[in-house]
Amino acid sequence: METSQKGRWLQVGLPAAGVTAGVLLIAGPFVATVVRSILVDGGVSAGNFIGLVTDPRFAAAAVNTLIAGYCTTVLAMALGFTLAWLVARTDMPGRSWFETGNLVPFFLSPYVGAISWIYLLAPHGGLLPWAARTWFGYSMDWLNIYSIPGVIWVLTLFYTPYVYLFVIGPLRQMDAAFEDAARVHGASFWYTLRHITVPLVLPALLSAALIVFVTSAGLFDVPLALGSPRGIKFMPTEIFSLVQYPSDFGRASAFGVLVLTVTILLTLIQRQFIANRRFDTVTGKGYRPRTIHLRTGTRIAALTLETVYIGGAVVLPTMVLMMVAFSKLWLGHFMWRTATFDNFVYVLTKYDLTRSAILNSLFLALTGATLAVALSVLQSYYLTRGNPRRRALVDALLSLPLGIPGIILGLGFLILAIRTPLYSTLSIILIAYIARFFPFATRTVTAMFLAINPELEQSARSSGASWFQTMRLIVLPLLRPALVAAWLMLFVIFIRELGATMLLYAQGTETISVAMVILSERSSGYVAALAMIQLLLLLSAFAIFRLTRTSISQS
Amino acid sequence: MSFVDIAHLTKRFGDHTAVGNVSFQVPQGSTLALLGPSGCGKTTILRCLAGLETPDGGIIEIGGNRVFDKVRGVDLMPEKRELGIVFQSYAVWPHMTVAENVAFPLKVRGVGAAERLAKASKMLETVGLKGFESRSATLVSGGQQQRIALARALVHEPRLVLFDEALSNLDAQLREQMRLELRLLQERLGFTAIYVTHDQAEAFGLADTVVLMNQGRIETAGPAREVFARPSSAFAARFFGMNVLEGRSAGAVEGTDRVVVTLGGRFGIEGVAGQGLDPTAGTPVLACIRKESVRVSRDAEKGSVPGTIAAMSFLGVAEEYIVDIDGVSLRAMQPAAGFRRGDAVHVAMAAADWIVLP
Repeated sequence: METSQKGRWLQVGLPAAGVTAGVLLIAGPFVATVVRSILVDGGVSAGNFIGLVTDPRFAAAAVNTLIAGYCTTVLAMALGFTLAWLVARTDMPGRSWFETGNLVPFFLSPYVGAISWIYLLAPHGGLLPWAARTWFGYSMDWLNIYSIPGVIWVLTLFYTPYVYLFVIGPLRQMDAAFEDAARVHGASFWYTLRHITVPLVLPALLSAALIVFVTSAGLFDVPLALGSPRGIKFMPTEIFSLVQYPSDFGRASAFGVLVLTVTILLTLIQRQFIANRRFDTVTGKGYRPRTIHLRTGTRIAALTLETVYIGGAVVLPTMVLMMVAFSKLWLGHFMWRTATFDNFVYVLTKYDLTRSAILNSLFLALTGATLAVALSVLQSYYLTRGNPRRRALVDALLSLPLGIPGIILGLGFLILAIRTPLYSTLSIILIAYIARFFPFATRTVTAMFLAINPELEQSARSSGASWFQTMRLIVLPLLRPALVAAWLMLFVIFIRELGATMLLYAQGTETISVAMVILSERSSGYVAALAMIQLLLLLSAFAIFRLTRTSISQS
Repeated sequence: MSFVDIAHLTKRFGDHTAVGNVSFQVPQGSTLALLGPSGCGKTTILRCLAGLETPDGGIIEIGGNRVFDKVRGVDLMPEKRELGIVFQSYAVWPHMTVAENVAFPLKVRGVGAAERLAKASKMLETVGLKGFESRSATLVSGGQQQRIALARALVHEPRLVLFDEALSNLDAQLREQMRLELRLLQERLGFTAIYVTHDQAEAFGLADTVVLMNQGRIETAGPAREVFARPSSAFAARFFGMNVLEGRSAGAVEGTDRVVVTLGGRFGIEGVAGQGLDPTAGTPVLACIRKESVRVSRDAEKGSVPGTIAAMSFLGVAEEYIVDIDGVSLRAMQPAAGFRRGDAVHVAMAAADWIVLP
């Protein structure tokens, strides 16, 4: 009896502890931000909010952020849908290559993307204006990357894969009979696309649109690189500067609360909308949709689009990064006689800041991904095997951070930690990383958990295995593909994270991304070398991801 | 001596009572089938027995060991109940080989690797899967997965084995074969078995005792032959596919256990009075007869009544008819005789085959 009760405690207690930890990780910074926003000189007042909304800088930041978020969403939806459709439903040449290629930007750092585009397109000293001037005698001076369109351009490159990922599944599984029926009954190709295909993937498209809007508008990296140098204000950079000396935490928190409110409202509206629209587009017959034949003109257009996208998001940035990283001094174009390894040698061996930044990033990514995946297993167990009546609420609570900008969560943890020994440690950064990103892992693991028949566990229990043995011998091995995918995803996210880290780092706890920001005013060579190192880490995670994915789908 | 003893078992899901105050015993080494339509609570009882569901009330004893007692707060974890279970889905672990699946109960009991493999191989041989040890468990057929699940449920020699719709996913031929093999296996190994099934052929083919469930309660229980031959309620009669006709009693036949029933128009029958029947003339009653006991022929015989074929369906070996007798529809099943719709026929039924229920 003794051991049996202990076993029961473990079975109920551990998953509940995982959920509690998740709720605390979200509620802590959330409550801290709300409380701080209504505190003025020790009393409660709406002063922070009034001060904020009457500040013309707030209006400028809000308008710029909304414009950038909106335009990015529209462009990413158009581009992501088109690319997914081309890969999933047409006979475009090289589809299997593009299928992977279109996903690569998902694994890259937007901050590095933004600085690469500075090297490519800076008004003076950009590679592309130099090439146009030297080879074609054409002046590209009218193009300025330090602008709202510049921000939108880089954001679109990085958020297109989100839409692509969301719609490619439904497009692939859609029963072609829906479209065939429309064509047979007299609809043209374009009419069918507009009135049948797009509406059928609309739920996926709208989910993607919401995620792209809230995450791109909340992204700190790109406005920092492309807006701040010219004083163009955006929400995340504005919150960041409110926390810098002379800091105004009250106003920063008020800004944070406004953003949180909008984010949560949008999420609720989207949930409501999706809940009201359930389409059965998957017939489960293992039916392979007919591929659509592209004629020469459309084929050229499709390949051009792919080239522009992968070129702009992957090839050109990587190329220019290598050029800068291997140049003694970057003057807008690569010269063999000044080629050098010095930048790499310096950041890897000689410079304390970059050396410890690389180690810190690796520590945070390895530990953070492991802890978050462990947490996600317990939460997924609760969400799929726990008390059914509490599941929906817990699920909604635990997915809140999905849309909360990193900078705002960072602000919350900064307020919580500022007078504690946690402040300026790697631990607070680690906690913030896990709090902001564990829902990604929980989502992935829960989806896999749902596919596991509970009888597989129950027969293990009836065979005499304890709960713990069942988890170790049955559940975890069955979940392995999801655990690997979630771990790699988090590793990638943590290696490149910037928004939350910028608020929480101190001397000695800089990460690769932070070191790049610090060095960006000193040496483009060091920044590019660091970016290349980060890129290698990200691409190796991506390579492992693809390899494990293929081995899973093969087995 | 009863090996499994369930007393006043109750399980609710929210407002819904899945199992309401159910009690029964299973003697050692015997087989009991929990039979009933889906949602009747039979699977819930099995899951309560295995410890996969926590009852809201009652007592469960297995082999004299109290595994659940609401009042005393006893609730043994599934792994402490020392039993074997075979699920409808088989629940064969896809990430293990056949031998690893079967040896699992021994592994968690700390049995050494060599002994484990030897016992697993022996059990695989018993269920007819000799030489399958190192195969991947997902690469075998449904019938073979069923045998793996069975071997796994038996390998640690549990004294009680539970079967949750274990044969339902097999095709008819394989199901027949497994049913016979299971009986032989049980006689050899001497375990007590409880089957949950919605299929009466499976229940009667496997079990000594049948418990028919309806809406969380025991409708009828007893030796298999008795339950089948003498349904005690209209639900049981309908569940076993009998004709159930509404009528009125015309009074008991003096000196016998028989009753005369008017079914409609001039059509009346004489049948055996069931338990608790009030034979007073004029009382509404239900008259039940098996389809197979209704004989349809072209020629009149002693005691037969005239009728018309209202519908027929050809079932291969047999034919099923709906016969209209003076406005009353009666189903009949018999070897193919080639009647067509509209044919005038004569229907013969023995009084001993009619059961009259309240």
